[in-house]
Amino acid sequence: MTSEVVRSTMVGSVWRVDVTPGQAVAADERLLALEVMKMEIPVEAPRAGRVVAVHVAQGQLVEEGQPLVTLGM
Amino acid sequence: MADEGWERELAELRERQRAAEAMGGAEKVAIQVAKGKLTVRERIAELLDPDSFREIGSIAGSGRYAADGSLAGFTPSNLLFGRGRIAGRPVVVSGDDFTVRGGAADAAIHEKLVQAEQMANELRLPLIRLLDGTGGGGSVRTLETSGYTYVPALPGWDWTVANLATVPVVALGLGPVAGLGAARLVSSHYSVLHRTNGQMFAAGPAVVAALGQVVTKEALGAAAMHAGTGAVDDLAEDEADAFDKARRFLSYLPSSVHALPERVPTTDSPERRDPALDHAIPRDRRQVYRMRRILESVLDLGSFFETGRHWGRSAITGLARLDGWPVAVMASDPTHYGGAWTADTAQKLVRFVELAETFHLPVVHFVDIPGVLVGVKAEQAGTIRHAARALASVFQATVPWCSVIVRKAFGVAGAGMANHTRFRYRCAWPSGDWGSLPVEGGLEAAYKAELQAASDPAALRRKIEERLNRARSPFRTAEQFLVEEIIAPRDTRPFLCEFAQLAAPLRRAGTSAFGLRP
Repeated sequence: MTSEVVRSTMVGSVWRVDVTPGQAVAADERLLALEVMKMEIPVEAPRAGRVVAVHVAQGQLVEEGQPLVTLGM
Repeated sequence: MADEGWERELAELRERQRAAEAMGGAEKVAIQVAKGKLTVRERIAELLDPDSFREIGSIAGSGRYAADGSLAGFTPSNLLFGRGRIAGRPVVVSGDDFTVRGGAADAAIHEKLVQAEQMANELRLPLIRLLDGTGGGGSVRTLETSGYTYVPALPGWDWTVANLATVPVVALGLGPVAGLGAARLVSSHYSVLHRTNGQMFAAGPAVVAALGQVVTKEALGAAAMHAGTGAVDDLAEDEADAFDKARRFLSYLPSSVHALPERVPTTDSPERRDPALDHAIPRDRRQVYRMRRILESVLDLGSFFETGRHWGRSAITGLARLDGWPVAVMASDPTHYGGAWTADTAQKLVRFVELAETFHLPVVHFVDIPGVLVGVKAEQAGTIRHAARALASVFQATVPWCSVIVRKAFGVAGAGMANHTRFRYRCAWPSGDWGSLPVEGGLEAAYKAELQAASDPAALRRKIEERLNRARSPFRTAEQFLVEEIIAPRDTRPFLCEFAQLAAPLRRAGTSAFGLRP
């Protein structure tokens, strides 16, 4: 199984986490939302797969490049 | 007596040309093909209109001669150039031949490279560089073979720089490019790296290893990394994609700054109205939307050609057509920092405005800018100076300019949507939301004392926010004529097509006051 780490492309905080480990997700399905510049910005699955791990929790500050979710394909 | 004519010489010319067409020889060509790469001659043929390539310097190279003075062997120069056509328009093309000395410039015959650049400049023709080579100088081994060293120079670089202000320059990195090759790739108006075969670096892994950094070509100079940093504008999935992108980019531009971008006939009516646009912006200010869908709906169908998608992502830039007229499109992307100007977004805007100014493309700006990005990281990135540089290009631009305020316009960056001291060709959507500072971000600072003194600060905050939001209606701004016109989003296409028509006769051919720097 190959896996892919979805990273934050922005500095912000985690507004909401929409997925849990083990869950199957479709391509473009929302994994979580970040709060950046007072906006809720969705982070979507780059492709279909299964959530292997969620690395962040609601309210947590994140940096650019920080791992958010690991997806297994 | 009949003159024997020049048959012998013509036969030798053909023989020399055949030898040059063999490039680095069957073995080296096989290696090139095995890497999934086309040869330089195949590339040129595929890029240009069929049979349009006219090579210059076709037998330049280094010959080896027998004792009787006859040609015993020949290695062609590994830089090819000539003229050809793209969509019927003449262009200059140059290409590195990796099969000869790995494309290293020391086998190129420098004067060919100089002539290719000068030809584009003096004949005022677009230039396409096909790059696949290891760089400028030879190895340090040349110290021994020459017995001396030299102060480095860049052959033809005055032309390379002048071309950025004169003719469209497209550079395609179809293999690894290092040193001079890398500089030639990025010294262009539009640069593309092949996603898998293309890597770029100032110096390759072998040199970097001497610093103790042991890395692969891919780890050092991956195409995707460079598209993300903005060192190049785009990625190509394969060589055919790279050629498509080059042809498409050039299709919006004049052959040189001495001509104007041409209109093409279109079947898309300038009166087309998309009712879905009236629902494109969520009422909830915290929710984002897809700006690219808006662009695709408003611009001539299928005409939007995005450049620099992977960097400076708060801004979307690209070339497009409105009622057939070529235009430069800038737009905010709320899904990246809410559309706020980051340092690299500002750099991308500078580059794009300079492109528009150089080639006389009217600018259409779809605005949703909450400001210059704020916060610790943004300050550490020196964002404000980059933003000020973007402002300077916007304010120096003389091409016709039109702004559509789709949603937010706040602060210095919001004010920099256009040079507002020019006639303001501008409209706003009913979702317009503007000011010095958004209520959400500025309330605490403005009402600090009151909130601190309140027994229930949260309740007071809500009450103040309600009061402020009442004054926030875009109609109150329009009532004061502080925004020119509020329109139904569905009417945006007719509004912009009319702008493109009115802008067309205002465009002026010639050299711009400021040129593009890489």
